[in-house]
Amino acid sequence: MYAVEIRGLSKSYKTKKLRTVEALKGLSLDIEQGEVFGFLGPNGAGKSTTIKCLMGLIRPTAGAASILGCDIASPQARRQVGYLPENPAFYDYLSAEEYLRFVGKMFDMSPEDAARRVQEVLNLLELWEPRKRLIRTYSKGMVQRLGLAQVLIHDPEVYILDEPMSGLDPLGRALVKEIILDLKKRRKCVFFSTHITDDVEKVCDRVAVINKGDLLAVDRVENILERGVEGYDVTAASADGQVQELFVHKEELPSFLKQTLDQKLAIEKIEPRRKNMEAFFLELVAR
Amino acid sequence: MTSIIQITLKGIFRDRVFQGIMALAVLFLFIPSAASLSMRQVVETSITLSLSLISFILLLLSVFLGATSLWKDMERRYTFSVISLPVSRSSYLLGRFFGLALFLVITAAVLAVAALLAIKFAVLMYPPDRPVLWGALVLALLFATLKYILLVGVALLLSTVSTSFFLPIFGTICAFLASGITQQVYEYVHMPASANAVSPFLKSAATVLYYLLPNLAGFDLNVNAIYGIQPNPNGLMITLGYFLAYTSILLGAAALLFDRREMQ
Ligand SMILES: Nc1ncnc2c1ncn2[C@@H]1O[C@H](COP(=O)(O)OP(=O)(O)O)[C@@H](O)[C@H]1O
Ligand SMILES: [Mg+2]
Repeated sequence: MYAVEIRGLSKSYKTKKLRTVEALKGLSLDIEQGEVFGFLGPNGAGKSTTIKCLMGLIRPTAGAASILGCDIASPQARRQVGYLPENPAFYDYLSAEEYLRFVGKMFDMSPEDAARRVQEVLNLLELWEPRKRLIRTYSKGMVQRLGLAQVLIHDPEVYILDEPMSGLDPLGRALVKEIILDLKKRRKCVFFSTHITDDVEKVCDRVAVINKGDLLAVDRVENILERGVEGYDVTAASADGQVQELFVHKEELPSFLKQTLDQKLAIEKIEPRRKNMEAFFLELVAR
Repeated sequence: MTSIIQITLKGIFRDRVFQGIMALAVLFLFIPSAASLSMRQVVETSITLSLSLISFILLLLSVFLGATSLWKDMERRYTFSVISLPVSRSSYLLGRFFGLALFLVITAAVLAVAALLAIKFAVLMYPPDRPVLWGALVLALLFATLKYILLVGVALLLSTVSTSFFLPIFGTICAFLASGITQQVYEYVHMPASANAVSPFLKSAATVLYYLLPNLAGFDLNVNAIYGIQPNPNGLMITLGYFLAYTSILLGAAALLFDRREMQ
């Protein structure tokens, strides 16, 4: 059973001028349990549209999807999900503590469990101090962190996060990455959208690239990085102790190695020089 | 659903709506003295003023809270974070409805106590010719509350299809204004005497509206309360049945429409 299974999902919006926008065109994706999956695409690619369909907020024009085997049409599908909306907003007349308790109740947590978890996640996201303040007094970053807190509170199996790093300062972004890596360690499934390639490179097992509603690629991050190897930066010392730095093309590596043996060069360091995720992404989207 | 009801009540209290009403309720203190200006029938006037004041406050609450509660959730994008919880849209809607209804009941109860005290005071100061029927008075307040709860249903139904608060607010006010006269209009167009004056189209349009719009005339027991006339128990039962049926239909339709609503 897949954590998230998407089959031919399409969505067209009707705009005010009676035009239709095809925001998503027949997307199919399988996301395994225990995997961190990056959903990478430029602004307007259809990432939020996909996620809103999964969360039952909008109705797909065609196609189907399920979460842990449960069709997304049923509220039951959301039982094992923590969802962070893009630029989230929460009842601003409640305090963070009250809101988290409310979320706990909606997930049928016992009051004791909820109280314990509320304390844990508030501490984790550094919201313990202001926990009794009304949310309407929070800064944007604090609201984003509260959004992550309400995702974590019931310790679900699947995390669906729409641009989790947006609106955060570098410290906050580092914290989010840490949280995602911790979830990975605990074999949870994380599906998050982003337009920042570096986020994908650092935390994801697999990545899908989407643009204008079309799926352009799905692959393991390590494969992409490996395929991206263009050559090697080599530091070698000759017999008389002269050190030289060379760039060797990928295809030339075997012959270069043979050559070093013949010439009795000692290789001190060899590092792959690769195109990074950003180059891969830009190339795909520009095509 | 109980959590949604709680949240709804908390929201209303935090927004200081209740405090605002309590400020308005100070007006009850002036009712006996205002009524005494009428010289005669001081108690009757006190009852009239009290009932009107309560009705007015409940009308304001039902229209504005009913019309803005869902609209605000969508406008401020709270729906994204809440509808995505494992709760069905209909539970969410019903939670909102019962929260608002409960708030109307609480407000009506508090205002009723204030009104009864004011009337009691008037009774003591200016003993009336006819004894006050306290039971009829309480019934009048009860049915007024039901009437405005039904109106909350109208407002919620309208906000499930509207993207602004304009339609729900003005739609509900229109429904309220029309509801007082549908009975008369219906009877007028169906009079044999008006057969020539009213075109068949108008007649059928009036009939459709008669069945579509809420008929709130039966909820008005003010005359009974003011003149101490026992209300007719059968009539009350019919009104109660009408309230339950009409509100259920409103909520059912609202749930269907809200379920199809796109959150974007
Ligand atoms: N409610 C809407 N009405 C019309 N068009 C929309 C609506 N929401 C999104 N779109 C369009 O659909 C496309 C995809 O949007 P979205 O899924 O939000 O992109 P992303 O999250 O990847 O930035 C965009 O072209 C956007 O303009
Ligand atoms: Mg987006």
